[in-house]
Amino acid sequence: MTMRQGLNAARPYSRFLRDQVPLLALVAVCATTAVLSERFLSPVNLNNILLQGCVMAVIAIGMTFVIIAGGFDLSVGSTVALAGTVSAWVMLETHWSLGAAAGIASGAVVGYLNGLIVARLRVNPFITTLGSMVVVRGIVLLITDGRPIVGDEGLPDTFLELGRGRLFGVHLLVWLPLVLFAVFGWLLHMTAYGKRIFATGGNRDAAFLAGIDVERVTASAYAWCGTLAGVAGVMLAARLQSGQPTVGEFYELTAIAAVVLGGASLRGGDGKLYKSMIGVFIMVVLANSLNLLNVHSYWQRVAIGLVIIAAAAADQIKSRNT
Amino acid sequence: MKRLLAMFAAVFVLALNAMPVHAQKKVIGLALASDTNPFYIVMRRGVEIRAKELGWEVRVVTANEDVNKQVNGVMDLVAQKVDGILISPIDAVATGAAYEAAHKANIPIISIARGAQSTYQTLFVAMDSVQIGRDIAAWAAKSAGGKGKVGMIAGPAGANVFEELAQGFKEQMAMHKGMPIVFEHHVALTREQGLKQAEDLLVAHPDVRVIYAGNDELALGAAQAVAAAGKKRGVLITGLNGIPPALASVTKGDMDLTVVLSPMIWGRLGVDVMAGWLKGERPKQKVFIKHILATKENAAKYMPPKKK
Repeated sequence: MTMRQGLNAARPYSRFLRDQVPLLALVAVCATTAVLSERFLSPVNLNNILLQGCVMAVIAIGMTFVIIAGGFDLSVGSTVALAGTVSAWVMLETHWSLGAAAGIASGAVVGYLNGLIVARLRVNPFITTLGSMVVVRGIVLLITDGRPIVGDEGLPDTFLELGRGRLFGVHLLVWLPLVLFAVFGWLLHMTAYGKRIFATGGNRDAAFLAGIDVERVTASAYAWCGTLAGVAGVMLAARLQSGQPTVGEFYELTAIAAVVLGGASLRGGDGKLYKSMIGVFIMVVLANSLNLLNVHSYWQRVAIGLVIIAAAAADQIKSRNT
Repeated sequence: MKRLLAMFAAVFVLALNAMPVHAQKKVIGLALASDTNPFYIVMRRGVEIRAKELGWEVRVVTANEDVNKQVNGVMDLVAQKVDGILISPIDAVATGAAYEAAHKANIPIISIARGAQSTYQTLFVAMDSVQIGRDIAAWAAKSAGGKGKVGMIAGPAGANVFEELAQGFKEQMAMHKGMPIVFEHHVALTREQGLKQAEDLLVAHPDVRVIYAGNDELALGAAQAVAAAGKKRGVLITGLNGIPPALASVTKGDMDLTVVLSPMIWGRLGVDVMAGWLKGERPKQKVFIKHILATKENAAKYMPPKKK
């Protein structure tokens, strides 16, 4: 890393280009769509894009932590459904704030258990989180009996207002990830704890020898990931005005793809939070623009898959050239 | 000569007045629940065919049964300022934000086949679910001679349509004392569920006479289970929707009844209702689609023409 920077210091311009492949990809998608559809840059649509990205952005923050720490988490999609239904259920019985807290807490519990199993028992993260993905979805279906949780009178109005309301013209649901991004960006990139995550993911043994409690650091990354998936689930419940037991399928894959698109390495130890957010918006803008351009839904899948591969490949080629 | 010219002018003006429907090309959006379910694939074709006849353009967004994605898709349509939106909502409550967005942008949003609870739903092109449930029960009771156990593999609880269908079915069945309902489960509308539930039903009640299934996918699954158990003789299986595989199955005698609510007609009717609305017609909240019971005798007739 340092050598790369040293070599490239003489050519800051090209270094910038190499570093910012994901950003350039995002700009390219935006520019192309803006040329082809005059509606793309309309305020309504820009607001749409932010709103469509906000849930995935929160999930991706957590996923970035886990991936930098050298693992990944397949259970976030199920956790989103768990948090949404738990929060809807609890708030119908008590108060909306308790419901929201319970939803987030349920996500934290799932994340913490994932972390314990991966870090302490040393079970492979793929197997661990694949297992918890299925278990959690099962629990969701059990507690909801497979039905959406709506309540006779609907969810509390204050809570629904969170999904609908705006502050300075921007949805409250968009402000939340911005705040979380600031807090977790600081935690990951500017604190000693963040450095320990990078160190653990980059080289577990070296980190251990350096005196880092690698088990604890790994477990904590999963706990954050679960907690944030919990937050995302509560946000989605507010947007969907109900606790939906079937939401969140394949969200884990979108989140992982977004983080990797943002340049994080699946081998761990490398990544930047803001780039993960760019990755999220590549996925969101792509889906939005294919709809605006009226591309047939079957072709949409082909296009999205190809863009994921192309962006990741561009990133690889760039790092090989350095 | 002058008179001739005047006449031409008059005809021309008249023609202009009569033409706005054709002259003004409308762009409508269609938000489907899924692009892999045959029901929606055919519905989409119905919408597209009718729209083409009117000279309209259709923009389609689909959602893979992910309700959040469906809300996003509708917002994309709103951003394009389409003239109207047809939607088959995945969930009656969770799509609320989509209806609200359309309403705020002054875009009429009409539900097809499945309705929403939103107060912003412009119209609902519905089926008369309770009546259809009654008709299925009446047919089954008559065919079974008023005797035998009845099992119900109903659609997902919480979805109004399936609740109403089941309610109509049970109301009608209650009139036949010799036909108790011994099994009732509410499940997702997949063939796997139909198969699994029917297997369990056949174990618990080997002498079941009628299997009511909430839709054709469930019924096809149930038919598979009944065939595997070697019991085809004597078990009546009813479905709903009249999708081509079900019509074929009824013709063959694996399934016994489906209700033709041709998605092709849903789609066409949706466009026509939208056209009426855009012209200023204001019908009541619900517009009902016609339904037809398809049995071994007439099922083949309702097979849609092959796509060119």
